[in-house]
Amino acid sequence: MHRFRIPWSLFPVFRHSLRHAGTPRAVLVGSSWPAKMAAPAVKAARAWSGLALGLRNAVLRLPGLTQVRWSRYGPEYKDPHIDKEYYRKPLAELTEEENYERELRKTQLIKAAPATKTCSVFEDPVISKFTNMMMKGGNKVLARSLMTQTLEAVKRKQFEKYHAASAEEQATIERNPYTIFHQALKNCEPVIGLVPILRGGHFYQVPVPLGDRRRRFLAMKWMITECREKKHRRMLMPEKLSHELLEAFHNQGPVIKRKHDMHKMAEANRALAHYRWW
Amino acid sequence: TMLKGMTRLISRVHKAKHGEQHEGQHYNIPLQDLKAVFPHGLPPRFVMQVKTFNEACLMVRKPALELLHYLKNTNFAHPAVRYVLYGEKGTGKTLSLCHIIHFCAKQDWLILHIPDAHLWVKNCRNLLQSTYNKQRLDQPLEASIWLKNFKTANERFLSQIKVQEKYVWNKRESTEKGSPLGEVVEQGITRVRNATDAVGIVLKELKRQSSSGIFHLLVAVDGVNALWGRTTLKREDKSPIAPEELALIYNLRKMVKNDWHGGAIVLTLSQTGSVFKPRKAFLPQELLGKEGFDTLDPFIPILVSNYNPKEFESCIQYYLENNWLQHEKAHTEDGKKELLFLSNTNPGQLERLCAYL
Repeated sequence: MHRFRIPWSLFPVFRHSLRHAGTPRAVLVGSSWPAKMAAPAVKAARAWSGLALGLRNAVLRLPGLTQVRWSRYGPEYKDPHIDKEYYRKPLAELTEEENYERELRKTQLIKAAPATKTCSVFEDPVISKFTNMMMKGGNKVLARSLMTQTLEAVKRKQFEKYHAASAEEQATIERNPYTIFHQALKNCEPVIGLVPILRGGHFYQVPVPLGDRRRRFLAMKWMITECREKKHRRMLMPEKLSHELLEAFHNQGPVIKRKHDMHKMAEANRALAHYRWW
Repeated sequence: TMLKGMTRLISRVHKAKHGEQHEGQHYNIPLQDLKAVFPHGLPPRFVMQVKTFNEACLMVRKPALELLHYLKNTNFAHPAVRYVLYGEKGTGKTLSLCHIIHFCAKQDWLILHIPDAHLWVKNCRNLLQSTYNKQRLDQPLEASIWLKNFKTANERFLSQIKVQEKYVWNKRESTEKGSPLGEVVEQGITRVRNATDAVGIVLKELKRQSSSGIFHLLVAVDGVNALWGRTTLKREDKSPIAPEELALIYNLRKMVKNDWHGGAIVLTLSQTGSVFKPRKAFLPQELLGKEGFDTLDPFIPILVSNYNPKEFESCIQYYLENNWLQHEKAHTEDGKKELLFLSNTNPGQLERLCAYL
């Protein structure tokens, strides 16, 4: 709901780009709340939520929506296909649809691929997102090096445990830092969240089911804030992060505690659930 | 590939029998040996790897094999030959040096190993004016640390070698002629003020007595370009100190001259710890400067380069056998091609890449 703002004035939105003069930008003129809330987020063409291209155009042309985060590309720009296997398929093997799509893409306008998205086999969108969230002041080099040092620290700790453990325990110890990372973040995701809703001059914290993306974001945000604030002055981030990730992997530690606190608050404010209208 | 499963030398082949057919394969160093022979001198990332895998495995590579061949055929009556290992960053110069040192230790040579000469020309807190020579400066901390490690590495020789001169430390203490070298080392460790002089004495005695034939001397210096360059150290009046004015460096330069016989001198150039040298410099002329190059002049340069495909494959197999590459895609052909591209077959880069994959 924070993605669409309500301009209290009734002026139409100023049309910035003459390049996209043909494409209509959605303008808000006093339409009702449900219509706005029901519309899905427009920045949808990503790996996680796959909105069909047609629906995206329809949404853009829906009246009653202003986008806060918009791109300079018009709706006719298609997303780039970053996949070596897709392009390596010999022409004989393609089906009808794929052939049609290939021909279509030859004439369509395509957006530039972001610098962070590669066709590397080792690429992981979750790790990239986490690195971006850890980044401060645009220093991606530092953030990436911290991330790699954290993964290395997790791996070395697990190897030590492995060598110290007996034969039966060795089967249970997980040494892959990527599975540990994914599982830890999954364990930290809250199921239900609180949202401040204005009623009668007061803000009430209303329990609300969270979407996938919001949950992932909260898990990562909590992990990063926890590691930044609650550590000794001289302790380095990779050390602290690796420790927290391992604890979260085993469902212990302060981040899991924060998730449980959130759940308990939501349970306590159960009575206010009626204030939610979506 | 043909090396699958053969990356380890299955029988513990004696180092003396390493030959060209073993190129690309790893050999194991037992951990007790490691502590005895290398109290200092292993690169820190290698130490971490040894701790993680619980075993120390070095790859046998061409530069080391070449050097071993030369060392096996040294003529101890001729003056000591200087070998200089040079190459770009991360190609394995320090580990090749460690391979040579391990070989010589197994052959019962006396190892004089300076792990990193750059540590002696920068970041030095306490500099004392030398008691022996008023113009020079002492570094008590570095000297005492080095003496401790030297003692651990060469225990058995310290009682055999006898000092050939009387040394007076101060009014109360002196070392008589004919007492074992161990006493000088002890004196340096306990009396930190005289540690630098103790180091100087050790070097002088070893140089004099190496010709006698009781032992073979291997002088191994890592980062030898620190001896002829500039230092980052300054006196109290902020005037810069030249390397000659440091007693440790002065004595070490005398050691590296080839006016003695009965051993060999193996040196490594290193840009990584150096001061005031450009990052891309790796050739001997660039790193040693005119003065250093002229002093070292007749030397045998040995280039240490990146992995060739066979060695790269062997390294990946070694990591896979130890389950170090945990990423699922790292086992595939695509993953290996990507690692090859990202690391450019540079051993250091490959190690750093595989650490987080």
